[in-house]
Amino acid sequence: MSRPAVIVAAAVLAFLVFAALFPGVIAPGDPLAIHPLDSFRAPSFAHPFGTDESGRDIFTRIIHGTGASLTIGLSATAIGVGLALILGLLSGLGPRWLDFGTTRFLEVLFAFPGLLLALLFIVIYGPGVVTSTIAVGLATAPGYARIIRSQVRVVRRAPYLEAALVLGRSPAHRLVRHLLPNVVGSLFVLVTLGIGQSIVWASSLSYLGLGAVPPAAEWGAMLSAGRTYLGSFWWMTFFPGLFIVLAAVGTTLLGRGIQQGTRLR
Amino acid sequence: MKRFVAPLIAIASVALLVAGCSTTSTGSSDGKPVAGGTLVYATGDAEPTCLDPHVGGNYPQALVATQYLESLVSKNKAGDIIPWLATKWSESADGLSWDFTLRTGVKFTDGTPFEADAVAANVAHLQDPATASSTGYLALQKVTGVTAVDRHTARITLSSPDSALLDSLSQPWLAIESPTALKRSQAVNCESPVGTGPFVVTKWTHQQSISLVRNEGYTSPPADAAHTGAAYLKAIDWRFLPDSVSRYAALTAGTVDVIDNVQPDTLVAAKKSKDLVALDAPRPGASNRIELNSSIAPFDDARVREAFIRSANVNDAVTSLFFGTATRSYSALSSVEKLGVSEPKLFGYDQKAAATLLDAAGWGTKNADGYRTKNGTVLELDFPVSTNQSIPAEQSLFEQLQATSKQAGFKVNLHPLDLSSWYGALGKNQYNLVSAPYTKVGPDVLRILFDSAGTKPAPSGYFANHSQVKDPALDALLEKAAQTSDQTERASLYKKAQEIVLGGFYILPLYDQQNHFLRRSVVSGLRAMPTVSTPTMYDAWLSR
Repeated sequence: MSRPAVIVAAAVLAFLVFAALFPGVIAPGDPLAIHPLDSFRAPSFAHPFGTDESGRDIFTRIIHGTGASLTIGLSATAIGVGLALILGLLSGLGPRWLDFGTTRFLEVLFAFPGLLLALLFIVIYGPGVVTSTIAVGLATAPGYARIIRSQVRVVRRAPYLEAALVLGRSPAHRLVRHLLPNVVGSLFVLVTLGIGQSIVWASSLSYLGLGAVPPAAEWGAMLSAGRTYLGSFWWMTFFPGLFIVLAAVGTTLLGRGIQQGTRLR
Repeated sequence: MKRFVAPLIAIASVALLVAGCSTTSTGSSDGKPVAGGTLVYATGDAEPTCLDPHVGGNYPQALVATQYLESLVSKNKAGDIIPWLATKWSESADGLSWDFTLRTGVKFTDGTPFEADAVAANVAHLQDPATASSTGYLALQKVTGVTAVDRHTARITLSSPDSALLDSLSQPWLAIESPTALKRSQAVNCESPVGTGPFVVTKWTHQQSISLVRNEGYTSPPADAAHTGAAYLKAIDWRFLPDSVSRYAALTAGTVDVIDNVQPDTLVAAKKSKDLVALDAPRPGASNRIELNSSIAPFDDARVREAFIRSANVNDAVTSLFFGTATRSYSALSSVEKLGVSEPKLFGYDQKAAATLLDAAGWGTKNADGYRTKNGTVLELDFPVSTNQSIPAEQSLFEQLQATSKQAGFKVNLHPLDLSSWYGALGKNQYNLVSAPYTKVGPDVLRILFDSAGTKPAPSGYFANHSQVKDPALDALLEKAAQTSDQTERASLYKKAQEIVLGGFYILPLYDQQNHFLRRSVVSGLRAMPTVSTPTMYDAWLSR
C-alpha cells in the first residue's frame, strides 16, 4: 500500500465526514426542494451532477445524503461489533459448553449469506432506516464474533494475564485492563474495513426499497430511483454510485493502510 | 326488438368495413400475413396468482386471458356492442330478462361444446362465494339466474333492469370458460383455464412465463377481427419481466417482440427507432386518480379534502415526468368513456385557497417543521402506494405532490408496499390517500367506486369505494342510471352523479390509466381490444 493512496483515501473520507457534519456549507440548497419544470437536466454549471425526475439537484442530495449513509454505516458496524464482542467474549472466556453453544450458533448464522440475514430481519420488523441499520449490524456480527473469539482465546493464555491472575486481580480488572485492549486493537482495522462494507450493504437495502423511504436523500435510494431512467439519464445513477464507491474504497484503503502501519511497528 | 335493428346494421357494416380495410391495409403496408412463428411478449404487470380471471379479477389476468378466453359480446372502436360468442340478444319489455342467441359450432379447447348451459355454469361460478371473484361478482350483482331456453339460447334474469349488462359481459373477467373444466378444483383451473379462444395455455412456469399454443380448431373471432379461422401465430411465449429497464433492453435487443407498461422516457426514446412502433390504448372505466378517504379524520371534513386538492401541483408533475405521453384528467372517468364529465375548474392549483380552507377548518396553527396542527395533532396523511400497480413515474409524481402539499402544511407519509401489504392497509382502513386503478367497460364503474355499497368487501375481500363515499342522493342517482336504458336520461343521471363526486372533492384525477405498448416492426396485426384495451394476438403475425 503506497502512502499517497492512504493520504488520498484519508482526504476523501475527511471530505465525506465534513459533508456529513456540515452539508449546508458545501451545498446550501434544500435536498428535498422540487422544481418539476427543471427535471432531468444533464450536469451543467447550475447543477454539477444534473437534476432528478422532480428537478431536485443531485449534487445537493448527495451531499445531504452523506450524513445518512455514513451514520448508517457507522451505527451498523457499531451494532455488529457490539454484538460480536458479547458473543466473542462469552465463547472465548466462558465454560466449554457455552463456547460450544455460541460457536454452533455462529456457524448457523454463517450458513446464511449476510444480506439474506439482513433481509430476514427486515421481513419480520418492516422496512425503514432503523431496521435496515440493525439488520446490517446483525448480518455482520457473526464475522466479527468469530475473530474476537479466536483473539480472546489467544490472549487469555498470554503470560501477562496469568501474571495478573497470580497477582490476584479481579476478573473485571483483567477483562478491562488486559484482555479488551489487546482484542480491540486488532479489531480496529476490521472495523474500518467493515464500515465501507456496511455502507454498501445499507445502500443495497435502500436500493431494494427496504431502507430509506422516498424522497429521502440517501445514496442507495437515489441509485434505485435513477435506475428506472438508466437508458435515458445516466447522471441519476452515476453520481450516487460514485459516492458509494468513494466511501467504500476510502474506508477500505484507510483500513489497509492502518493495518500495514501497525504491522510495521 | 326494434331498437336492435339499427345497432345490428351498424355492426354488420363495421364488420364489412373492417374486413375490407384489413385486406387493403395489410396488403399495402405490411404485406400478406404469414402463418407460424412464436411471438415473445414481455409483461411488466404483476404476475397473476390465478389464470382464471373469474377468481379475483384484475388487469394482469385480463391481459393474458384475452389470448385464450372469449366473452359473449365485444365492442368495436366506435364503442358499440358487437357479437362474439353471442350472435344476437334482446331485452324483455320490463328489462328484467335478456335472451342471448349463442354462436353455433363453437367448442371449448377441451372438446366440450359451447352451449347455453355453459353460460349458466359460468355465471354460477362467478357468483359462487368460493370462487372469490370481485370484478365479475360486482358486475353481476343484479343477475338472479341463467336458464337454457334451448341449446343455443341463454336467458339471463335480473332483479332490476341493468343498463350496464352488455358492457359488463364484454369484459375478460366475465369470459366464458368450459363448464367441464370449471368442475375441476380451483387450483387446477387456475393453472390451466379452458376457453374457446385462439390460443391454449399449455404450461405456466411461475415467476417466469406462460406458454400458449395456437387453437387449431378456432372458429369464433369477434365481429371486428381482421380474419377468420385459426390465429397466424403458432405460439406465444408470455414472459414476466417486471423490471422496466430490462424489458425495454430486451425489446431493443430483439429477444422480445412486444412489451407493455412502457415508461414515458423510453416511449420518447423509442420514437427515434425505426424498429419500434408504439401502441397507446388508455384503459376504460375510471381515470387514474388519488382517492381521499372521507371516512376518517382529517378528510371527513370536505374543506380539508379541497385544501389538499388545491395544494397538489399535478400539472407540473405530469409535465415533468410524462414527457407529453399523458394528458391531465379532470374527470372520474377515462377519456374513452363517452359519458365522462370533466371539471378543470375544481382542480386548479392554488396554495392561497388551500391555506384559507385549512384555517377555516381549524388547522390554523403550524409546528416547527411547517406542518399544520389542530389541538396538538399534526395534519398527517398516510398514503400506501402499491409498487406493483404504479409505474416509477407515478411514484415520483406522488413524491412531488407530497412536496407541494407540504407548502400548505400537509405531512404526507408515502408507504411503498407490495400488493398484499397494500391490500392489508386498505382492509384495516389505515389510509388517508390511495391510488388504485379500476378498469371496467362503461360508466357503471361509478356505481362500483362511489356507491355506499362499495365500502363493503366483495367475497375476495376487496372493496372498491376507497373514498368511502356514503351519500344516499348519489346512491339513488347511480342506481337509477344503472336501470335506465334511455340514453339521454342515462347520460344526464351520470352527469349529476359525477358532479357530486367531483364537487365533493373525494378524488384528485390525474390522467387516464396509462396503457402503452411497444412492438418490434416485425410484428404486424397487433391491436388492443376496444373493451378493456388488452392486446389481442389473434390477428398478429411475424415477418421474420
